[in-house]
Amino acid sequence: MSDFDAIVIGSGISGGWAAKELTEKGLKVLMLDRGRMVEHRKDYPTEGKGPWELAYRGNLPPAEVERDYSNAKWGGAGSTDRTHFFNNDRLNPYDYEASKPFRWVRPDQVGGKSLIWGRVSLRWSQLSFDANKVDGHGSPWPIGYDDIAPWYSYVESFAGIAGARDGLPQLPDGEFQPPHPMNAGELWVKARLEAAMPGRHLINTRVANMTQDKPEQGRFRCQERNQCARGCSFGAYFSTQSSTLPAARKTNNLTLLSDHLVTGLDYDRRHKRVTGVRTIDTNTQEARVYTSRIVFLCASAMSSVHILLNSRAEGGDRSVFDSSGLLGKYIMDHSMRTTVYGVIPDPALDGLATYGRRPTGVYIPRFRNLDGQDADADFVRGYGFQGEGGRRNAEPAGFGKAMKEGLRNHGPWQIGFNAFAECLPYKDNVLTLSSKTDRFGMPLLVFDVTFRDNEARMMNDAQRQGEAMLKAAGLVNVGSHQDEHVPGDAIHEMGGACMGADPRASVVNKWNQAHDAPNLFVTDGACMASTNCVNPSLTYMALTARAADRAVKLVKTNAL
Amino acid sequence: MDRRDLLAGAGAFFGVSLALPLARALAAPGFAASQPLFTQDQQALVAAVSDRIVPATDTPGAVAAGVPQFIEMMLADWYAAVDRNDFLSGFATLEAVARGRHDRAFAAITPAQQDVILTDAMANTLPALPPRFFEHVRQIVLLGYYTSETGCRQERIYLPLPGRYDGAYPYATGTKVFSS
Repeated sequence: MSDFDAIVIGSGISGGWAAKELTEKGLKVLMLDRGRMVEHRKDYPTEGKGPWELAYRGNLPPAEVERDYSNAKWGGAGSTDRTHFFNNDRLNPYDYEASKPFRWVRPDQVGGKSLIWGRVSLRWSQLSFDANKVDGHGSPWPIGYDDIAPWYSYVESFAGIAGARDGLPQLPDGEFQPPHPMNAGELWVKARLEAAMPGRHLINTRVANMTQDKPEQGRFRCQERNQCARGCSFGAYFSTQSSTLPAARKTNNLTLLSDHLVTGLDYDRRHKRVTGVRTIDTNTQEARVYTSRIVFLCASAMSSVHILLNSRAEGGDRSVFDSSGLLGKYIMDHSMRTTVYGVIPDPALDGLATYGRRPTGVYIPRFRNLDGQDADADFVRGYGFQGEGGRRNAEPAGFGKAMKEGLRNHGPWQIGFNAFAECLPYKDNVLTLSSKTDRFGMPLLVFDVTFRDNEARMMNDAQRQGEAMLKAAGLVNVGSHQDEHVPGDAIHEMGGACMGADPRASVVNKWNQAHDAPNLFVTDGACMASTNCVNPSLTYMALTARAADRAVKLVKTNAL
Repeated sequence: MDRRDLLAGAGAFFGVSLALPLARALAAPGFAASQPLFTQDQQALVAAVSDRIVPATDTPGAVAAGVPQFIEMMLADWYAAVDRNDFLSGFATLEAVARGRHDRAFAAITPAQQDVILTDAMANTLPALPPRFFEHVRQIVLLGYYTSETGCRQERIYLPLPGRYDGAYPYATGTKVFSS
């Protein structure tokens, strides 16, 4: 007799969805998270505070950042309005060779990154599900757009996605609430860009910040504070705390244990089944194994792979889930450190500014290699641009009364974009286990991941195309630059347990079940066989809900 | 929960009555210097410099906004020792220049005399002044002022809960702008 029907490992975007779906379908579920408890509303200590009420007025001392948040800083951990939602890298380290840095930005609480994510919610299209098969990189996807489209609709309707229906085949429309409006500067650029360069589109970013209430969930529309990463008592943006956790709790089928690190899974090789989940209470160091009929592994992409790699038979050094030899391989992230910007030279906009702080911006969907390979493209696949228009304060020099009054003025309207580019799956971008262990005795995760030529060429193309678009739209002072592209930076790390039809060439099947253990479902970013160029969280939601539906059907027919 | 209840609650939460949480917060790191850094003379000097950079106009100036205490906290607890020493040495130079020119402390000379010295500092014509000292002081005064409650609520317009986004909001040059 198992302790639970299902165990969900992790409580972020994917784990929260697994817990909601499985409990609503009647399963008794244990959800585990290594981090501390964070309750909706109660545990948002910086919400609503003015700059003068934030420690150090908002910026952690650099020495403290380097000591405790040397990697998490790339996700914003140095901002004291949100430091408490990030992992302490000194206490929970990982490893890489100095020449191959990986910026692994982690949370350390129930809710995971759902509390601090960027909330951009974009669908994949068939184009991207076909990519591996078409150009031969990585493991071909065993599913296509039609498999996941209804599940996109399902999760969008619940999560609350604001966006416009743009009718673009490379970025399918979904179940949208009205978009957060573009501002005057963005509309100015949109009109001129789309007229000057047919095929280029400037659209509202589709984002999990609601513009309409969901009273049935106790959630209310966005108040345009743009302080999402502090937590939102309105529940205006999708998070585990605002959305999936209340739904799961409502069923009375959920047991939630925070402060429980999962170190590995027990495995019955003969029956190809996961038989237990090994945990350590991070406060007491007490070890305990929990059992269930099925397990949903949603610990975040890299951590899920970490747990799988550390699931080794007694005395063995190889994971029991690695019969394909591909566990921990094909690690990916988006590259994103290409920036383009320009100034709008139109005095007609001088009398306009913005009111409120919109938590999102505008998006230029992929336009490269859409219809076969572009003749002038020296790379495969493509990229999109995330950006925002607005006016900064004027920056008068000097001091005294004139400067103070000068600061009451706005500078010109500007717009800026960052490219987000697809990273190809490379078999030798890998995670392995270190011989060093952490404070709980778990081997450190070791990253050996680099971007390659295709990513570099795409970033160069994005810089050229970005400048060309802004110039064509009539902007002036157009500029651009690239910073060092370091994997992990986009916080879109994916792969390591890639999905595929062939058990010899992939780790999970088209229902996210491990080929080596059909009662184990890996539904977070670990399962991704390629990255597309769009933000991935919405796809994790849809894959998780789809897999949960499948899992419950299999449980109820005693197939699992 | 009824949405209006939540908004009413939020109004109180995000409103002005924050005396108690603030009092508690002041004991936490990052609000007041963990231990005094400035001598009385340095306090007077930093206050005088701050108020010349952001003077009182139709809104309060830097001293009324607590900027000197903010600078003391940042120098004591935020900056690395090398930067802290640059600041202190730069302030000492300003003091020495005031005494050399006017035989009085910087804080005791007239605002016009202070402005001449600060203008020289800005132009980097004062010997022994650490490089970019004036710009660093200017930046920390601006940061302290525009993140203070006075700067946010009086010099600028503070919107704790905008409730809506207007991307084409009428704005006339020289009127107040919104704080962060």
